[in-house]
Amino acid sequence: MTALPQLIVSTLLLGGVYALIAVGLTLIFGVLRVVNFAHGEFLMLGMYLAFWAFALLHFDPYLTLVVSLPISFAVGWASYRGVMRPIVHASHNVQVFTTVGLSIALQNLALVLFTADARFVRTDYYAVVVRIAGAAFNVAQIVAFAIAVALTAGLFTFMRWSYTGKVMRATAQDRDASALMGIDTDRVYAITWAVGIACVGAAGVLLAPIYPVYPTAGLQFVLIAYVAVVLGGLGDMAGALIAALAVAAVEVVGSYTIGTAWKEVLYLLLFIGILVVRPAGLFGQRGAEALGA
Amino acid sequence: MSLLSVSGVSKRFGGIVANRGISFDVEPGELVGIIGPNGAGKSTLFEVITGFYRPDEGEVRLDGARLTGLSPDVVCRRGIARTFQKLRPFQGLTVLDNVMVGALTRTTDVRHARERARELVGKVGLAEKAEAHARTLSTGQRKRLELARGLATEPRVLLLDEVTGGVDQRTIPELVRLVRSLHAGGLTLLVIEHNMRVITAVAQRIVALHLGEVIADGPPDQVTRDRRVVEAYLGLAYVP
Amino acid sequence: MKAVAPATVVFLCAGLAPLVVRDAFLLDSLVLVLIWGSAAAAWNVAGGYAGQISLGHSAFFGIGAYAAALIVTRWELSPWLGLAVGALVATAIGLVVGYLSNRLRGPYFVLATIAFSQVLLIVGSRWRGFTAGSEGIPVPFRPGFWTLGIADKRVWVWIALALAVLAYLVQRYLDRSRRGYQLVAVREDEDAALSLGVPARWLKVAAICVSAALTAACGALWAQYIGFVDPFYVFSVDLSVKFALAAIIGGLGTALGPFLGAALITTVETYLRAQFGGLGTGLIGIYLIVYGCALIVMVRWVPHGLVGWIGEGLRRRAAPAAR
Repeated sequence: MTALPQLIVSTLLLGGVYALIAVGLTLIFGVLRVVNFAHGEFLMLGMYLAFWAFALLHFDPYLTLVVSLPISFAVGWASYRGVMRPIVHASHNVQVFTTVGLSIALQNLALVLFTADARFVRTDYYAVVVRIAGAAFNVAQIVAFAIAVALTAGLFTFMRWSYTGKVMRATAQDRDASALMGIDTDRVYAITWAVGIACVGAAGVLLAPIYPVYPTAGLQFVLIAYVAVVLGGLGDMAGALIAALAVAAVEVVGSYTIGTAWKEVLYLLLFIGILVVRPAGLFGQRGAEALGA
Repeated sequence: MSLLSVSGVSKRFGGIVANRGISFDVEPGELVGIIGPNGAGKSTLFEVITGFYRPDEGEVRLDGARLTGLSPDVVCRRGIARTFQKLRPFQGLTVLDNVMVGALTRTTDVRHARERARELVGKVGLAEKAEAHARTLSTGQRKRLELARGLATEPRVLLLDEVTGGVDQRTIPELVRLVRSLHAGGLTLLVIEHNMRVITAVAQRIVALHLGEVIADGPPDQVTRDRRVVEAYLGLAYVP
Repeated sequence: MKAVAPATVVFLCAGLAPLVVRDAFLLDSLVLVLIWGSAAAAWNVAGGYAGQISLGHSAFFGIGAYAAALIVTRWELSPWLGLAVGALVATAIGLVVGYLSNRLRGPYFVLATIAFSQVLLIVGSRWRGFTAGSEGIPVPFRPGFWTLGIADKRVWVWIALALAVLAYLVQRYLDRSRRGYQLVAVREDEDAALSLGVPARWLKVAAICVSAALTAACGALWAQYIGFVDPFYVFSVDLSVKFALAAIIGGLGTALGPFLGAALITTVETYLRAQFGGLGTGLIGIYLIVYGCALIVMVRWVPHGLVGWIGEGLRRRAAPAAR
């Protein structure tokens, strides 16, 4: 069991970034009652932002991160105004197709603009390795983990203590009542959507120095985020956090025992299994449907 | 033997007890009202009878045959139809098609179902709206539509969840007249109703629920004077 | 019966076209329109009529494509047999998928179907011993009707047309039959349908099975027509979206809609590929940008599709005349 420390630390490092992707997704679901199928594409845009800033302006990805937060927030705000706003109260099917449409359009926009080539962000400290508990880790992974945890903690603090965060939680609980209390729900939706996009955009910047950047790069990460979000209970931020770690553990152990090639099948089956076994605890229950109506 | 019998039904959601040991019988041809303040467990009871919820304890029988454990569609085919408190017409379909869905449970012939649906649409007074989409109807018209749809399944017992709720004052008498005429035609009905004046006027018997339990069961004038019922509705201060 | 007239005209034109048209490009486009239209119609049975919005239908298409290709290459049997096997396997898998996903609604069902098609994508591209892995399978050309080695595109038009008519008739059955009425009721409100005695659960499973079998048949014919099976294409989410988009553009839950939608998107796709494809490989994605935007615009502005829109136009034109 010499591999155990390596497995545990790997799980934590991966889980931290997954959590940042997942909390944005679950936050959007909780407040807007929309599953964002374009979430992965916003991650991909974040990765490209880091890449181009690095390639053209020689920006360090962690410097880009600071810039990326307002940029992703603005992109999120604009996409809410342009695409999401008219369909926030529409049926599930309309919402699904709208975000799927957005996903396809963004993915292929990246394909047309940047081609399908995989790009790499090779920083000077790319090969620097840190030893933790006798196991070796890439420094970029550790930094990504630390920042992701800090951002996630920041989001939790924001949701718990700030006025805007409280308003968002109130809207998540009961949108009709919130509207009656004089809350501008449209504004709350816009902020929520933009915050969710900012989170996933930041995650993209953090992942760029570790993984290759290409137009469909978001898909693999966001699939994991879906698994985490469903496992944690859609709309439940703390649940998503814990579930992200659980999914990371499955992935790490899966890669270790059955190889990276088939690990995807493992968590996809896990995902389907969770959906099938526990739909009522997630979204299928009548209460949630009524709230969404 | 009674037509519908509810015996010892309990239903919990987490720590909340929505129904606790509820028992009562409905005789053929009876019109029984169910009253109780908000949260008394009336709607949960309906969901249990119609098979949407499975009770934690107790059972429901129709004409002696056990219904508990059957899925809602089977319960309907056994002879129980219902309306929903929060109305659920098929929004995108016409009034006639809505009712046809009910009629097709009893016949495989689409043409026959259409005739039957047209008949029932007329009976509830929606003949002029037969080709209109359900989403264009007023609340009162939707209530009639749900009634017609339920009747189309040829129920032995019809469960109505809030006949007059959310309907404007002027249409209440028409709806009451409709329910009375169905009852006069020999149909057995179980009716949840908030409006005390309406329920005491139409029901032969009233079952009062409070906090998930039956607190009174008897003729309307007796139940409405029951000390516990008055307490439940108005609080202790009003009890003489 | 009025609704049948336009469809008769459309299919009659398609059937007679090979007698008049000699242009190989046009005939090729017609075959593709008919195959994509049939696939969209198959999707419509589950998505449009039953309201089971799947974005994993490429899984069934891929099963059909692989069944036909593998039966030809591995066992040297007829692709027609492959079509039948593919449809059967798809039905069986549809049964399992339909049963397992029975309680899932809205986005949950969509997520489950996407995950399912991703599983098949990985199996198809990694199970080298059986599927030839990520390289895909070239389908050998053996002349003859029984082996579907047909160079004459006119014959392909008639084969594809037979499939299209079958898919259309399945939908017409749903337009008029008891089961169709019940299925639409389930789509509109499952609980209300249950309360009226509609056996919603097994109707949904049945719709998914029929839809899966038809989709697999489309996949089998397509593989034989194109002559190559690429796992990353036949199991892709983009392909599932294509089926859905064609049905949405044409009109969800209408029998003719999917064929109109398929005709439109195939034309646009062919045009954009011809215009921009030569300029660089990256630009190949341009028609997908159009797909994505079309999806967003259609569900919001033209929810009832071309069929609904044309119907509305005709009614508006007829109304003043009646007065």
